[in-house]
Amino acid sequence: MADAPRFVVHFDRPDRTYDPLAPIVVRYEVHGLAAHDTIRAVEHSILWYTEGKGEEDLGVHFFERIIEQERLPPRTTGLGFESVLPASPLSYEGMIVKIRWCARVRYFFAGGRDFVSEHEFLMGGIPPARMPETGA
Amino acid sequence: MTPRLPTNPFATRFTRPGVLPPLDRHGNPIDTARLVRSLQTGAVVVLEGPHGHGKSNLLAALLAAAQAGGRETLLVRMRTGLDAWKAVAAALTAPRRACLGCDGWERCPPGTTAIIRGIAAVRRLSVIVTAHGPLGLPVLARCGTSARLLAALVARLPGHGDLIDGHDIDDAFTKHAGNLREALYDLYDRFERRIRERCLAAQTTAG
Repeated sequence: MADAPRFVVHFDRPDRTYDPLAPIVVRYEVHGLAAHDTIRAVEHSILWYTEGKGEEDLGVHFFERIIEQERLPPRTTGLGFESVLPASPLSYEGMIVKIRWCARVRYFFAGGRDFVSEHEFLMGGIPPARMPETGA
Repeated sequence: MTPRLPTNPFATRFTRPGVLPPLDRHGNPIDTARLVRSLQTGAVVVLEGPHGHGKSNLLAALLAAAQAGGRETLLVRMRTGLDAWKAVAAALTAPRRACLGCDGWERCPPGTTAIIRGIAAVRRLSVIVTAHGPLGLPVLARCGTSARLLAALVARLPGHGDLIDGHDIDDAFTKHAGNLREALYDLYDRFERRIRERCLAAQTTAG
């Protein structure tokens, strides 16, 4: 089985914390591509998803699919994408449900193999939910 | 910076059907390829077991195994009786000899189950359904659980540090009478409580 490539991702804000409506710039390098790996397409997305108990939800804020060979590795090395974040939903650390934002990179290789790499960031400054007080 | 608590390994994204491997009641892997090979075309078979006993997970794994074996597969989750018509449509449009999964067969009105069975026979489909009790259909597998199975599943989840131990697993299993879905939700709650207690204690110490 082929080794998975390794992505080194850099956000323009080193603490990976953004305000709503702020611009976000994501740059990355990909390592560990085998010489025989032929990349058919690359997808970049910025999305939020819920994590917790029960039903899950997600929303894609930014998406692009690159299929032009001159824009794909190995011909291109400086890869990245950018967008302006929406007003909501804000990152949230609830007990039953959490809202996570992430930048996602997906590589599609010849032969049908694909590889996904997710890199989380925070939007907003909502503190984690506290446990409800118990007792009398 | 807003604190980001560690990921809860019992969240649905790690435990929903199709993510964890199907295990038998003793915690051993189920040979899904063998079960798929035993499927007859034109027939409906059932995965039987109470709520939270792994039927949906096994169904997802069987469809994945069928797909890996080169068969077309479709899955219909029946949340209401109306979804039975989605299953009818899937049976009508699926390629011949495809493998169709219907999760929640008991929600199908009796008339539609007869229609789906008829279509399956004519189009040589293999239909796998889930049900809580006997339906008079051939049983492909009976799903059972044990505390050992729950422990085996927990061992396959992302790390939970030392926040959940064997006593929690046994307790959650007993409290929910073998319903693994509810037991995993219970462990989710325990993890949430303890990670917050730990973070609060760390803040107090640091302060």
